[in-house]
Amino acid sequence: MSGLLTRCLRASAWLLLILMVAGLLSYWSPCAKGADDASGSVGNADAAVRLAFNATLDAERAGANVSGLIVRLNEAGAVLVEAEIALGNGNSSEALSKAAQCVGIAESVKSDADALRASSLDGAQTEFWTYLIFSVVSVAVFVVALALVWRRFKRGNVRRMLGMRLEVAHDEA
Amino acid sequence: MKLEDYKVIFVAVGLVGILIFASPALSLVLRLPGGERFSELWVLGPGHMAEDYPGNVTAGVNYLIYVGVGNHLGSSAYYVLYVKFRNETEPLPNSTSGAPSVLAPLYEYRVFLEDNNSGEVPLTFSFSNVSFSGSKSTVGNFVTNGVSYSVDKSASWDAVNSGYYYQLFIELWIYDPVSDVPSFHNRFVSRWLRLA
Repeated sequence: MSGLLTRCLRASAWLLLILMVAGLLSYWSPCAKGADDASGSVGNADAAVRLAFNATLDAERAGANVSGLIVRLNEAGAVLVEAEIALGNGNSSEALSKAAQCVGIAESVKSDADALRASSLDGAQTEFWTYLIFSVVSVAVFVVALALVWRRFKRGNVRRMLGMRLEVAHDEA
Repeated sequence: MKLEDYKVIFVAVGLVGILIFASPALSLVLRLPGGERFSELWVLGPGHMAEDYPGNVTAGVNYLIYVGVGNHLGSSAYYVLYVKFRNETEPLPNSTSGAPSVLAPLYEYRVFLEDNNSGEVPLTFSFSNVSFSGSKSTVGNFVTNGVSYSVDKSASWDAVNSGYYYQLFIELWIYDPVSDVPSFHNRFVSRWLRLA
């Protein structure tokens, strides 16, 4: 009888222990998941800012004015720092919120930078052909004009030479 | 003057004229080398001047400095400024090898600048949990821009300069679009702080 009681007590103790461990795991896992989510979101925000900056650089190389984009990138950078601080302090919800805000700004910067780059490339192509045509036409006109001036000058010079009289100096003595 | 001499003058004028009229198209193709490319990093006192820097510091008092960055790299740049704090024995960045300090940053700024532009960011700091025992002082917390960090750094009494000395320094890192990571830009500024 006492053996049965001991077995029952032991089984109950094991059951209680298993329930406690399961309870602790169920309590910890959302916390750990929340921290992981926040860490991943901050990492995504960092990547989004880098992508936005690369797009801004491309737009700048295409000849676009990127002053407005740089102002917004600074805003995204400041929000990213706030997200990292919140993450460091264990404030996952704030880190998630700031990271989402940062991604929003960075994505809008990237989209605007891509549009600016496309319009700048169109503008640059038009400018390139305008400059090229202007240069070719103006060089051709200049060369033709110079050739005509040279011909006139040469003809005039030859005529002047032919019209010259030979002068002989006499020795009166 | 002979006709041949005039011909030479016409040819010279022609070449100069062709260069002048072709310059708009040439400007699209030829790129003249720019000036020297570099970044600037500086630290200023609370009045945006190179004066009144906090030197003698005490616990619980807020101090303000400004950290400035200038971009002369020929294109926009993405800088990261790391704020670090050390005692006399901990390492500074190594300018010769271009290696940053191994100390973990306490705070950071992310600054984007167009070419030939500069910017300044405020940096406030204070100390808490400061203790003195014998010839040793300990700083428990370093508070920067309202965020408190546990640092637990100790400094021994400096008999030559009569004080406990700590150093606040800021490293300049730059994002490289090719490698897609920021790397140390081999520049840092620092201020010695005498704790009383």
